[in-house]
Amino acid sequence: MTVVDHNAIELSPRISEAEVSDYLALLKPRVMSLVIFTALVGLAIAPGHFHPVLAFTSLLCIAVGAGASGALNMALESDIDALMSRTANRPIPRGRVTRQEALAFGLILSFFSVLTLGILVNWFAGALLAFTIFFYVVIYTMMLKRWTAQNIVIGGAAGALPPVVAWVAATGSIAVEPVLLFLVIFFWTPPHFWALALFRSDDYARAGVPMLPVVAGPDATRLQILLYTIVLVAVAVAPWPLGYFDAVYGIASLLLGAGMMVCAVDVYRRRERTESLRATRKMFGFSILYLFALFSTLLLEVVVRAVAPLVW
Amino acid sequence: MAGLMADQRPPDGIVLTEAQKKSQRQRSIAIALALGVLVVLFFAVTMVKGPAVLVRPM
Repeated sequence: MTVVDHNAIELSPRISEAEVSDYLALLKPRVMSLVIFTALVGLAIAPGHFHPVLAFTSLLCIAVGAGASGALNMALESDIDALMSRTANRPIPRGRVTRQEALAFGLILSFFSVLTLGILVNWFAGALLAFTIFFYVVIYTMMLKRWTAQNIVIGGAAGALPPVVAWVAATGSIAVEPVLLFLVIFFWTPPHFWALALFRSDDYARAGVPMLPVVAGPDATRLQILLYTIVLVAVAVAPWPLGYFDAVYGIASLLLGAGMMVCAVDVYRRRERTESLRATRKMFGFSILYLFALFSTLLLEVVVRAVAPLVW
Repeated sequence: MAGLMADQRPPDGIVLTEAQKKSQRQRSIAIALALGVLVVLFFAVTMVKGPAVLVRPM
């Protein structure tokens, strides 16, 4: 018979040394900044007057909701994050924050962001924000990411929703313009992430993530990048002839679209290792500039339209 | 004498290191600030909306 002296068992609970910066890193600040910017454009182009305090509240809730999604994503993907050089420095693989802490943090922020947007602005926007978080965490992170090479194509919908949430927050309804913004981001996502996946394919292969270059090979990915870029440029230009956005936007979308096409053709043509690497990095960098510049044009148009009557 | 012995005993329970105390204090301040922002936000929106704050459109 074994006698266990319970007093002899030393319980040493883990005491967290995580700093505020570790929790901020869980929010994926760079992704968050793009979400805030696209949501700001959604707010700016919405018709009618929207009180600045409510606009700020909406942006804050959308930003916190996006950050919560990032924290939940990191909690659920800590095993593969630890295997990839790009993500190995995140707070969970580094041991700064536990998965449970990140999960609790993400759930609390999700709850408060949705609740606050619903109570202070409108429940349609709150529900859409909840759906965005659900889509990113459950549909993309838990289901698609490790299951199909189309993960970022379908999952891209979550990243494309913030301007729609913002529009709904401002107007209480949905319209064609936010759907057009949604489509631009939706078709922008695959070429952007596949360019990244092309020069990080070893990372994804090691982690067992079925990104397109890992599953179908680099040549098939290059072709897909080219095809999606053609669709993206067409979708981005379309609002101009359809009469939803002005000529300034139309010309900017044509010029920027030409830049995207040059990058995509470059990625498609250059197969030699060093040249291919340079082309994919250029495509990745330019795609960020493309989205930022295209949405900035819309923002600029709104500002000019608001300021012009005061000046002239 | 007995009192002196009691003083020399290590304190019961978990003793935090300086790093743990510092990070805990930082996190507590951050939570307090977040709650403060939430309170200010609800107050500001109530002022902006007035009685309409009770009307919550779907």
